Amino acid sequence: MHGLQPADPPRVGEYVALARLDAARSPRVPPERRYLARGADGERTVLVSLPAPGADPARWAAEARWANQLNQPGFWPVAELGGTAAFPWHASPYQPALPLTAALTAHGGPLPEGAVRAVGAALAETLASAHVLGITHAGVCPAAVLLTAYGPLLACFGTVRAAAPEGTPRAGLPGVDQECLAPEHLAGAPVDPRGDVYALGAVLAYAATGHAVPERSEIPAGLRPLVSACLSRDPDGRPEPAHILAELAPGAAYGTLTATAEPVSLPGRVVAALATQSANALAAELPTHPTEVR
Amino acid sequence: MLSALLHDDPHAIGPYRLLARLGGGGMGTVYLARTAGGRTVAVKTLHDRLAAQPALRARFRLETDVARVIGGRYGAAVHDADPSAPRPWLATEYVIGPPLDVAVQAGGALPAPAVRVVGAALAEGLARLHRSEAVHRDLKPSNILLTATGPRIIDFGIAQAIGAEQFTQFGDATGTPAFMSPEQAAGLEHGAAGDVFALAGVLVFAASGHGPFGAGGPAELLFRVRYAEPDLGGVDPDLAPVLARCLAKDPANRPTLDELATALGAGEAPPSWVDALPDAVLREIARRAAEVWRTPPDRQPPPPPDAPAPAAAPTAPGPSRRRLLALTGGAALAGAGLTGGGVWAWLANRDTTKDDARKPGKPTATATAAPAKPPARLWTFPIRCPEAYGDVLPTKQGLAVPAGIVLTGVNAESGEGTWQANMGDGWRWASDGTRVYALREHDEGRSLVLGEIDPTSGRLTKPRVDTTDFAGDEARNQLLCVAGGRAYLTARTTSGNRWYLLAVELRTGREHWRRPVDEPGDQYGPPFLGGSVTGENLFLWRKDPYTEAVEVAVHATRDGRQRWSETEGYSSVPPSRVVRDERHVYLCDEAVMARDLSDGALGWLFGENGSRDVGDSAGEERVYGAPTLRDGVLYCTEGDRGVVAVDALTGSLNWLEKDLDGRRLNRDVPPVIGREYLYSLDDQGLRAVDLTTRRAVWTYETDATVLTPDYARERLYVRELRETFALPLA
Repeated sequence: MHGLQPADPPRVGEYVALARLDAARSPRVPPERRYLARGADGERTVLVSLPAPGADPARWAAEARWANQLNQPGFWPVAELGGTAAFPWHASPYQPALPLTAALTAHGGPLPEGAVRAVGAALAETLASAHVLGITHAGVCPAAVLLTAYGPLLACFGTVRAAAPEGTPRAGLPGVDQECLAPEHLAGAPVDPRGDVYALGAVLAYAATGHAVPERSEIPAGLRPLVSACLSRDPDGRPEPAHILAELAPGAAYGTLTATAEPVSLPGRVVAALATQSANALAAELPTHPTEVR
Repeated sequence: MLSALLHDDPHAIGPYRLLARLGGGGMGTVYLARTAGGRTVAVKTLHDRLAAQPALRARFRLETDVARVIGGRYGAAVHDADPSAPRPWLATEYVIGPPLDVAVQAGGALPAPAVRVVGAALAEGLARLHRSEAVHRDLKPSNILLTATGPRIIDFGIAQAIGAEQFTQFGDATGTPAFMSPEQAAGLEHGAAGDVFALAGVLVFAASGHGPFGAGGPAELLFRVRYAEPDLGGVDPDLAPVLARCLAKDPANRPTLDELATALGAGEAPPSWVDALPDAVLREIARRAAEVWRTPPDRQPPPPPDAPAPAAAPTAPGPSRRRLLALTGGAALAGAGLTGGGVWAWLANRDTTKDDARKPGKPTATATAAPAKPPARLWTFPIRCPEAYGDVLPTKQGLAVPAGIVLTGVNAESGEGTWQANMGDGWRWASDGTRVYALREHDEGRSLVLGEIDPTSGRLTKPRVDTTDFAGDEARNQLLCVAGGRAYLTARTTSGNRWYLLAVELRTGREHWRRPVDEPGDQYGPPFLGGSVTGENLFLWRKDPYTEAVEVAVHATRDGRQRWSETEGYSSVPPSRVVRDERHVYLCDEAVMARDLSDGALGWLFGENGSRDVGDSAGEERVYGAPTLRDGVLYCTEGDRGVVAVDALTGSLNWLEKDLDGRRLNRDVPPVIGREYLYSLDDQGLRAVDLTTRRAVWTYETDATVLTPDYARERLYVRELRETFALPLA
């Protein structure tokens, strides 16, 4: 949780922005502007998302509407849609959530291999169940992975689709984490599940090394073949999510990793960051006169 | 962790709108609540009916002050408080983290580095508290939350200002005695060093998963806290020595908090606290961080109109006092289990709610005879300790009141405390009616000393007896009685493990005789239940170590030779006293039995084999209660029918109390016989029976555990768990 910047909106719909989810100088530019916000009556605290500066609001809002209708295990829920065509937003009830980028910052570097495997397996399961239904997430990147007490949730649904119409080269588009784009999608090809797998490989690499495009030698030996396969330039050379799940969590029953009822294992400093965020959100108070905030 | 508001919970307290219940107890409730600006806090309140009591309100105010002193670094940051509100409240941050006991239950003992951090942080927090002249007094695992930034101390419900009160308010807040200091367990003042002891106990628990004195019933734990060596099994070898020093029985031998903090590595480069925590504890922290944001459950609906209201706590027949201790401890534990982070587990407090009833001038008249009113108290002495069972000892110059291992001098006229002296266990002193004598160790336990207690200062005067033959540090040495200028005691020899019964001349210190006796059957208890002297006979009784029977023995006072002994089975608790006169010794159980003092032969039996109709209310308890002998008449309760008076010489019935109905009589406390009235305890209080009409004339509401007559001053001393008071003895 970080302080608001002058460019941040003081209000989003009926909500008063309290804090940023992502640091102003985030190591990786987040695909959306995300805020901790609260209803003016003080009752409802939410996490509200806005398109990245410069992104096409209409395309972004279309993805938000789709996400709002989905009920995919492992996807960050989009509970409420609001705003105008020029200023759309969506919101969901707040729960403590740490972007993977913030988790690495909190941990002080790459996560231990055990944690990478646990997070990766849950994400692989999430993608597997989406791909079975023909749903491509098209927004997988480190900042889109929100770690919660009960496992990772995938936010920023459809960022790549929203960034530009099919066929447009996607290098340098607002909100797009270019290092997580498969080569064919960087070139403008229609998004498909194999692009999610490439992005998952980049996320795993990031979690394990701090870089989405690491040197091969940086990747822990146990993860090296799998990450390399995910990052294959040939879309057909990339593994299926179910295969990734089996590689990362041998023996894990499918369907048990997302939407768990019990808290999952996370590194201590990541838990500490989650608890601190929760405590800060509990202690946050609405500005006395929110309308005067400029 | 969040539970629904009850239908009659308020909607708001102070400026906070209530969301859910976090926990509750006998004294108050803790709510999750929210300000108009959306800040979420934990709000603790005092029950309405308790808020009217100035003492509890003052304690709430003190807790508020202490919470502010401890602050957010070591405790829960105070947001706001209003201890003067009609319903006083204290709002703090909601602290995210499991209590230490839950953490250890979930993830096992903490690794040594984490224990060090917990210890150093708590030592600093407590030092801050002590610097502001307050002590915590109730440090235990359920009062410590493990958060992501370190341990936090919560719940200062029984913290108090140093020196504010001489005695631990044991009856107010029992909790689990497992982490009490020995001085607290004994009813002595628990000062800063007491918090050190408790902190070390908490750290032993954190490091090993068990408390230093194990588990068990409150009485058992209290005993081990005071006498047993702490069990440091499983504690890291680097930590064990410093914790052992903190657990010294003598507060003076414990390190200070600063020393402890240094020994635990405070000030050194702190190891990353969360990295040292077991995975299970981290998951508990994460769980609490998330759950507080879940939508709280809906407020519970009111019960349907025709449903019976929840039964009020039964006032009678109440559980026995010992049972009550156990219950209270259990309630505290249950509270801790129920509550989550940022929660105070308030302790059930049954007694304070009855304060009104125990004030003078608000007694209840009996149904049978309304006209006579109970007398008002002459004075009240507020002594509070875990073991308020000892008899009040009247002496020439005042009273001595035992309180655990302490003897307290009380001015018999005003009821004011005059002195207190640490005496060791209750079997180490005795009174001959005018003076009180006590056993002491001397020269670091190498010799045993017997002296008189100065009735004005409580100090032990020049020793009457000083012997190196016997081990002074043997806690089970017993002063049986003092009579005819002699003291009778049992003691263990310095060399070997032999026990002797001794008679010692008080004036000269000369030993008259010694006789070998069996070593105590109990590891912690003294050899005998009691002893007394009548003429030429020293009369001793002890519990058979293998059965529930009581062995009664008579020795000659001249040479200590045993004249006879008899073993009597007891259907329930062996009596703490046995009465005798020049002719008989009397035992009351299924029947009243008189044995000849000279040879032990059966003198007479009263009420044997159902020869009397004792009613059907006797239940599982013995038929005849503890007896009193006065002017040739033996008085004791008979079932629940009332007090029966039996001729001590012949065993024939003199009279039976009339028209008593619907009460459960106290079989453990013998009646007291005055000139006009007989006083006896039952489940409704202290009953006065007119000796002429043999009917109860009034009842004074009390849950007394001891009645002591003082014929010289015409007083009746009534001892409750939390106070002793005097009534006129008529």
